[in-house]
Amino acid sequence: MKPELEPLNRREFFGVVAKSAAILGLTSAAEAKGAAQGTANPFAYDISRFQKTDPKLITYEQVTRWPIPHKDAKRLAIGPDDRLYVCADKYINSLSRTGQLGMELTLSGPASCVAVAADGTIFAGLRDHIEVFDAKGVRTARWESPDPKTWFTGLAVGAQDVFAADSVKLVVLRHDRTGKIVGRIGRKDDARNVPGFVVPSPFLDVIIHRDGLLRVNNPGRHQVEAYTFDGDFEAAWGKPTIATEGFCGCCNPIALTMLPDGRIITCEKGIPRVKVYDASGEFESVVAGAESFPENAHACTDLNDCIHGGIDAAVDSEGRIYILDIVTSEVRVMKRKG
Amino acid sequence: MDAKPHEPLSRRQFLRNGARLMTMTGLGAAAGVLSTRSTGAAWVWQIDPAKCLHCGNCATKCVLEQSAVKCVHTYAVCGYCQLCTGFFAPEPNELTTAAENQLCPTAAIKRTYVEDPYYQYSIDEQLCIGCAKCVEGCNRFGNGSLFLQIRHDRCLNCNECAISRTCPGDAFRRVPVEHPYLLKTTSR
Repeated sequence: MKPELEPLNRREFFGVVAKSAAILGLTSAAEAKGAAQGTANPFAYDISRFQKTDPKLITYEQVTRWPIPHKDAKRLAIGPDDRLYVCADKYINSLSRTGQLGMELTLSGPASCVAVAADGTIFAGLRDHIEVFDAKGVRTARWESPDPKTWFTGLAVGAQDVFAADSVKLVVLRHDRTGKIVGRIGRKDDARNVPGFVVPSPFLDVIIHRDGLLRVNNPGRHQVEAYTFDGDFEAAWGKPTIATEGFCGCCNPIALTMLPDGRIITCEKGIPRVKVYDASGEFESVVAGAESFPENAHACTDLNDCIHGGIDAAVDSEGRIYILDIVTSEVRVMKRKG
Repeated sequence: MDAKPHEPLSRRQFLRNGARLMTMTGLGAAAGVLSTRSTGAAWVWQIDPAKCLHCGNCATKCVLEQSAVKCVHTYAVCGYCQLCTGFFAPEPNELTTAAENQLCPTAAIKRTYVEDPYYQYSIDEQLCIGCAKCVEGCNRFGNGSLFLQIRHDRCLNCNECAISRTCPGDAFRRVPVEHPYLLKTTSR
């Protein structure tokens, strides 16, 4: 038997060196491959356990889904006869409940929000101004920009008022139906106990609740706030948590809508999810969780920051919920289970 | 006259020639580095933040003991969030600077109160290891104001950057030395 510590000859030495080099090379290649595939990142930001919704909390099911005609979608709204209005790029398209295309309006620039009055008048929010169309799609007015920095991201129409949420100036403007600004709502005001909107990314929304008050999201405070039309702060609810019952991330919710009975639907980004709260803010259930929007969740992880993700929702007269996925440019129609 | 046939090299000759070659190569490389340093490199490595996948390689693949890649912050893009997802762990016990609430493995992000409810976040580059955990948190929920850059006061500007070889997003590229950083700018 050969002694263990016998000196190597030249051939054996080169053989051992070659084998060692091969092993080192393979190890390095595997390490590089593993790292490249993201399987070996010791610094991974792991929120995977929050991206799966407890099935018991999901009370809605998808009826159908259909694409919208243009990319770069932003918001959607329900008009008379439950027609759906979607703004994307510089267009507003009306669609039937089954996704059949109706008229198309061309705006002077990219749209950022839309609302439709009971009489069919269409209000399109562009970045810094509002354009008005009659029910047949004829442009009737252009309301001039209130401020060069204005960035409208939410609109709500009442019988006599049009409310426009400005995510840069941190205010909801109250207009009359001619476009005249008659009030400013939500500016920080200690004397009136108004906390002030905190909007890190451009998602400020406003809806008119059936109780006669406005609801405005305050994403940086992770709250939904109630205001009178005159700007008095009435109430707020919501808490920051990545758990399902709260609002996740730095700044959520990003959009609001309302069921016919007054319950409130909220939309979140980062972990894209749509949820139902009762009018007082108690969490009730999930309409669709992050597992329903894989591409949308992906949008906030890789190449883009999260202002390019996001979802919106609208509700028809029968309580069906239309969810706009702005990443995939499609609408999902949800109805309550059972 | 016929050329003299090559005689096989002896082991001693082979090693001597090899040593000469290595010496010449080393001198050449040193001269190259010196020439680069003395005249100023025309191109330097940098990370394109639009391509960065926050994979963690920058913390572990740099030839330096502590990576030349650091997190940087564009304040004009920052939301000054109270709940900064680049600073806080996904489910913090409370929104305080207690270590258990922080996301950064080296506590390299400093949180400073500005006014209700705004906070400023700054990077301590002496502590930052370039792991991109905060970058992922900021991008996933926020505006993406935190991102990685190669700091040229540390980078050796290797001919073939060790991190770039494993970068899954192909985010490393050469940029002119006159514009050595690829900074995010505000979109609002």
